Amino acid sequence: MSHNPPDNIYLPKLARIAHIKEEVAGERSIKTFRLEFVNGDGFDHQCGQCAMLSIFGRGESMISIASSPLIKDYKQFSIMRVGRVTSAFHDLSVGDTVGIRGPYGNSFPVDDWRGKNLIFIGGGCGLAPIWPVITTAVAQRANFKNITVFYGGRSPRDIMYRAELEKLRGSADVHLSVDKSEEGWNEFCGFVPSNVMDKAPPPDNAIAITCGPPIMIKFVIQNLQNLGFKDEQIYTTIENKMKCGIGKCGRCNVGKDYVCVKGPVYSWAQLKNLPQEY
Amino acid sequence: MSMEKILDKARLNDWIAALAKGGDWEVHAPALEDGVWTYKPVGDAVRMDHPNTKQPPKGFSFPQREVFFSFEQIKGEAPRLTQVMPDAKRRAVFGVRPCDGRGSVRMDRVFADNVNDPYYQARRKNVAYVGLACNTPPAATCFCKSVGGSPVSTDGLDVLLTDLGDRYHVTAVTETGKAMMAVAGSPLADAAAADRKRVKQVHHEAEAQPQRAVNNPDAVPAKLKASFNSPLWEELARACIGCGICTFLCPTCHCFDLNDEMTGTVPIKGNRVRTWDNCQFPDFTMHSSGHNPRENTAARLRQRVCHKFQYFHENFGMLQCTGCGRCVSECPVGIDIVAVVNKVAEHVA
Repeated sequence: MSHNPPDNIYLPKLARIAHIKEEVAGERSIKTFRLEFVNGDGFDHQCGQCAMLSIFGRGESMISIASSPLIKDYKQFSIMRVGRVTSAFHDLSVGDTVGIRGPYGNSFPVDDWRGKNLIFIGGGCGLAPIWPVITTAVAQRANFKNITVFYGGRSPRDIMYRAELEKLRGSADVHLSVDKSEEGWNEFCGFVPSNVMDKAPPPDNAIAITCGPPIMIKFVIQNLQNLGFKDEQIYTTIENKMKCGIGKCGRCNVGKDYVCVKGPVYSWAQLKNLPQEY
Repeated sequence: MSMEKILDKARLNDWIAALAKGGDWEVHAPALEDGVWTYKPVGDAVRMDHPNTKQPPKGFSFPQREVFFSFEQIKGEAPRLTQVMPDAKRRAVFGVRPCDGRGSVRMDRVFADNVNDPYYQARRKNVAYVGLACNTPPAATCFCKSVGGSPVSTDGLDVLLTDLGDRYHVTAVTETGKAMMAVAGSPLADAAAADRKRVKQVHHEAEAQPQRAVNNPDAVPAKLKASFNSPLWEELARACIGCGICTFLCPTCHCFDLNDEMTGTVPIKGNRVRTWDNCQFPDFTMHSSGHNPRENTAARLRQRVCHKFQYFHENFGMLQCTGCGRCVSECPVGIDIVAVVNKVAEHVA
């Protein structure tokens, strides 16, 4: 048995991999891992929060929790193979046990958005951090007005959550895009910010939530502003390298804020006043 | 409420012996080893004529390297984690200069803020600092007064000693300090009226010693905030070789790394280890994608200076620099935090 007192923040809880799905193949492949806490010793989270995942012997990596807080039986993480720990994750199998501690960071103020139109804009693996908000909003569909989801990848093969997005069409307007079109692609061709301009969602009573590569976020925000969105209506999440998750190891700060504590969720009204160190 | 005593210098070792015996304290004091002043468990003769130690005493609560837990895992099975907590030994550190006492106050804030750090707290609660006032002329690199300190500050200390020639004046700062002074077998004697008068005079003279200064320190946080995009940072950092000595020797730098160190592969065995880390290294902030939010020495010097003189002030209402001067005296290329702050503040509208 692991010795796991609740007061030692650095000691991970244990979770078993219950399911693995390959979302995107290739050099920077993305897999979604479903983790179940061992012996039910887990924690609840809110939309937008992250968790520090461990592979013992390899180390830790901070990953956003991609499943809705309404799901209590497991937590889901979509992980791109890019560094030492994430690559090791891609080599694991169902039944393997990993470490998990958290949750860390602030969250999207979903309850404040009741009665509003929600517009989600994701690119690449940036769909994962906003996916808990999308699925929570859909699960509580009556609380919100129109739900619109923009999502794009480089090519049709880079579209993650493909089946889930198709299922989403029943409850939300879904606008997919690819940077480069291929045979059989009959949706928008071009970058995500262009797709947003093409569909031009109105800013009235709306909140826009965006996550993706920094360059995409930059142009999405510009385009939203061109469409009349105010800074307070635009939300995004940022990431920085993290080791502790509790504002002490000193590396994830953007100005005075440690992203692991004060972030990762910011409105553009907040973020535009912080130095651009992310 | 204050407790003031006098200690005959010849009996310093008797007090230390009493603390070891009657109070179960492991006593550490500065020792000159190979020309370097270092905190060491006390040997025969304790001398406290050190200017300051090369390293601050922060390692007593935040060691350079510590194991958090060990792990053992057979592939495909659940790992076994064994927490490794610090020992419960009480450590009394003698000869801590007031700048380093104030450094400890800042470390305490960081490790208690938001969520308690269990390893830091386990050590810190068993550490007592017996400070030594600075009443000789300050080093050329000292600047404690302009960052809110003083050569006779008691902040962060449990006891303050003041050198009165053949004797120390001894003041209790905390309840722990009082208990240390009252330990069984203590050679401390009551302070006479003349001693009390003398110590006031010595402190007054110490505080009047001229030092170099951070100019207009109250205005510095706002000035730095306005300096973020200044081209001055690039100029000021041009000489920096990124060695990181400034932060490793700083009494308030708390950044750390966490890594797994393997001791066996079948089964997977190893330790999760915390070590000091350093904001002057590119890897410190580099994402696994290769993107680095602080991609050059200018951004990293700006981070060190702004953390101490702006961000920490915004978060905790105090500067994170205590003016010990180590980063100034030890920098191999002569980067001087006082000169940097003054220059940036002067050039920003």
